[in-house]
Amino acid sequence: MHDVQSIVRIRSGNQMVAEGALRAGCKFFAGYPITPASGIYKTMIDTLPGKGGVALSAPDEISALAYCVGASLRGQKAMTATSGPGWALMTETVQYALMTETPVVIATVQRLGPSTGGATQNAQGDVLFVENCTSGGYTIPVFTPSNPIECYELTHIAFTWSELLRTPVVVMLDKEVGMTSEDVNYMDIHDLTTLSRQRTSMSGNGMDKNIDTYYFENPEDVPSFVPVGGEIKSTVTGSAHNKAGRLQKNSPETLEVLYHLQKKIDANANQMELVKRDIEEGARTLIVSYGITARTAREAVRRLRKNGEKVSWLNVLSLFPVPENKLRNSLHGIERIVIPEENFGGQYRSVIENVFDDQDVVGVNKIGSMITPDEIIAKVV
Amino acid sequence: MSTNAGIEQELNINVEDMDIVYERPDTLTDTRMHYCPGCSHGVVHRILMEVVQELGIQDKTIGVAPVGCSVFAYSYLDIDMQEAAHGRASAAATGIKRVLPDRIVFSYQGDGDLAAIGTAETIHTANRGEKILVVFINNAIYGMTGGQMAPTTLDGMKTSTSPFGRNPDHVGHPLKITDLIAMLPGAYYVTRVAVNNPRNVRVAKKAITKSIQYQMDGKGLCFVEVVSNCPSGWKMTPVEANKWLEENMFPIYPLGDLKVPSDDK
Ligand SMILES: Cc1ncc(C[n+]2csc(CCOP(=O)(O)OP(=O)(O)O)c2C)c(N)n1
Ligand code: SF4
Ligand SMILES: [Mg+2]
Repeated sequence: MHDVQSIVRIRSGNQMVAEGALRAGCKFFAGYPITPASGIYKTMIDTLPGKGGVALSAPDEISALAYCVGASLRGQKAMTATSGPGWALMTETVQYALMTETPVVIATVQRLGPSTGGATQNAQGDVLFVENCTSGGYTIPVFTPSNPIECYELTHIAFTWSELLRTPVVVMLDKEVGMTSEDVNYMDIHDLTTLSRQRTSMSGNGMDKNIDTYYFENPEDVPSFVPVGGEIKSTVTGSAHNKAGRLQKNSPETLEVLYHLQKKIDANANQMELVKRDIEEGARTLIVSYGITARTAREAVRRLRKNGEKVSWLNVLSLFPVPENKLRNSLHGIERIVIPEENFGGQYRSVIENVFDDQDVVGVNKIGSMITPDEIIAKVV
Repeated sequence: MSTNAGIEQELNINVEDMDIVYERPDTLTDTRMHYCPGCSHGVVHRILMEVVQELGIQDKTIGVAPVGCSVFAYSYLDIDMQEAAHGRASAAATGIKRVLPDRIVFSYQGDGDLAAIGTAETIHTANRGEKILVVFINNAIYGMTGGQMAPTTLDGMKTSTSPFGRNPDHVGHPLKITDLIAMLPGAYYVTRVAVNNPRNVRVAKKAITKSIQYQMDGKGLCFVEVVSNCPSGWKMTPVEANKWLEENMFPIYPLGDLKVPSDDK
């Protein structure tokens, strides 16, 4: 007898990021070793060539992301994986991808920082470092899985939004989520629809070979994609540019393009919202978690309820854009919000604090060792 | 009944009568190293510090070792030691040497560090003729991160990210960065050594001694590649690794001087 309800394998979060990427149609990967993200690199090297893709070893992270951007300029779905020190080196090309509207997915597995930090220690300290890496303050969509299944699903979703919005998207893990291996039941993976960027087509209508590479009608529209090396001439620049993709300073059209880069994300922010909720009627405290602290929060909730206490819990899967609606409509009867984070000062708390009205927002913050369920429980009313 | 009958005897060792033939130099701390058994790193640490001791420059010598397995070098080398970011050792060493020109400054870098992520720093440090010593531990692999393929990995060599062996059609042949360095006018003395047997250890030590003497004389960049092993990353015993080193690494990275000072010939 075989049981179709379960196909169970032991997998790490890193492996599932790679598998989610393959499922999304990722055809190009470039990597550079770094603990705790090397498992993604290794899995892609082992599997992508067999699926007709290219997996390339880069001499550093600067090149790794640049290779991916080059492949994506042609239309291939591309990904790289790193951790904080590598992310630091990638930021120039993250901005380039944003400005050139080049889809690319970057998985970053957080470790203790700053600088070379602690390679084998968990942390959630790169939240603002990742989100605020652009000059100008553009939104970088960030997804934060807390277990292997979510690693798979959110990587797939990251590809979808990266393609649809034509912008760099980050899957942000932390060391424990990336490197912990556990039972994964593949039947638990939800149905996922794979989508790709819309391409400019030359077919039939006698279109001009010189149409603007970044043509859009409304600022929130995403221009259809002109692949490099195709039938239509493509002009791409990381400098401020007009819709033709030509460097121009401060012309109304260039400013329109600069606004457009943010507006296309804002216009889809509602749809990108992704949270998991466990709301309990009559609870006065809501625990808000993401990444590994979701696992700790879950245990805190279990212990509290076992003692007959009421508590609600919300796990954020789409860290940015901030899922404001879903946060706001989880506040019924809530007086206190507790946000556990393995960083100083509560990086995400500082971002979402102003989403809440009169609630008392408190953090549980720690670095260098993991937050315990009891430390969360101590803050719950 | 004892089978050891007659074997036991009084030894009466008199310490005063014995010659010391080998001891830890004062420039090495009395700490157990974390390196894997048979790894070249420990031997190179030792000869480097023997030279520092012999030249009497312990309080004048400053080292920079970036991330890589030698990230803990500061625990073993009893001199001023700095860790640098990955790939940036020779750049950090440049800053130190420029403000302290009378000190002896060296960087101590792995192949991933020096010939991958730090290639630009390496080439430009040499091209400027920076008056430092670069010690280059080439074990053809990223040891610390779990044995991934590096630019220096040999053709056909299996690593965790080249499971079928390095394919030169896909990623090129091993980068012989020392040969490139030797071509640059700023490089003063460039040599390739190994520490796999006593003879080679002596040659390596001589190369380091010479390099430091050149630096004391205000000469340009000295570059010493140590063709090294990584038993753990190569998935071999230390003995197998040293055999493999001779049979496979030396043909690609032949030992010997690549550039000797013209005023020295
Ligand atoms: C920017 C950045 N990328 C990656 C790493 C991860 N990392 C640490 S050590 C290392 C490789 C070390 O290899 P090598 O220089 O050859 O030294 P070995 O351990 O082999 O002696 C890497 C990739 C890092 N610390 N910083
Ligand atoms: S991993 Fe390799 S380079 Fe690192 S200490 Fe072990 S043998 Fe040496
Ligand atoms: Mg190495």
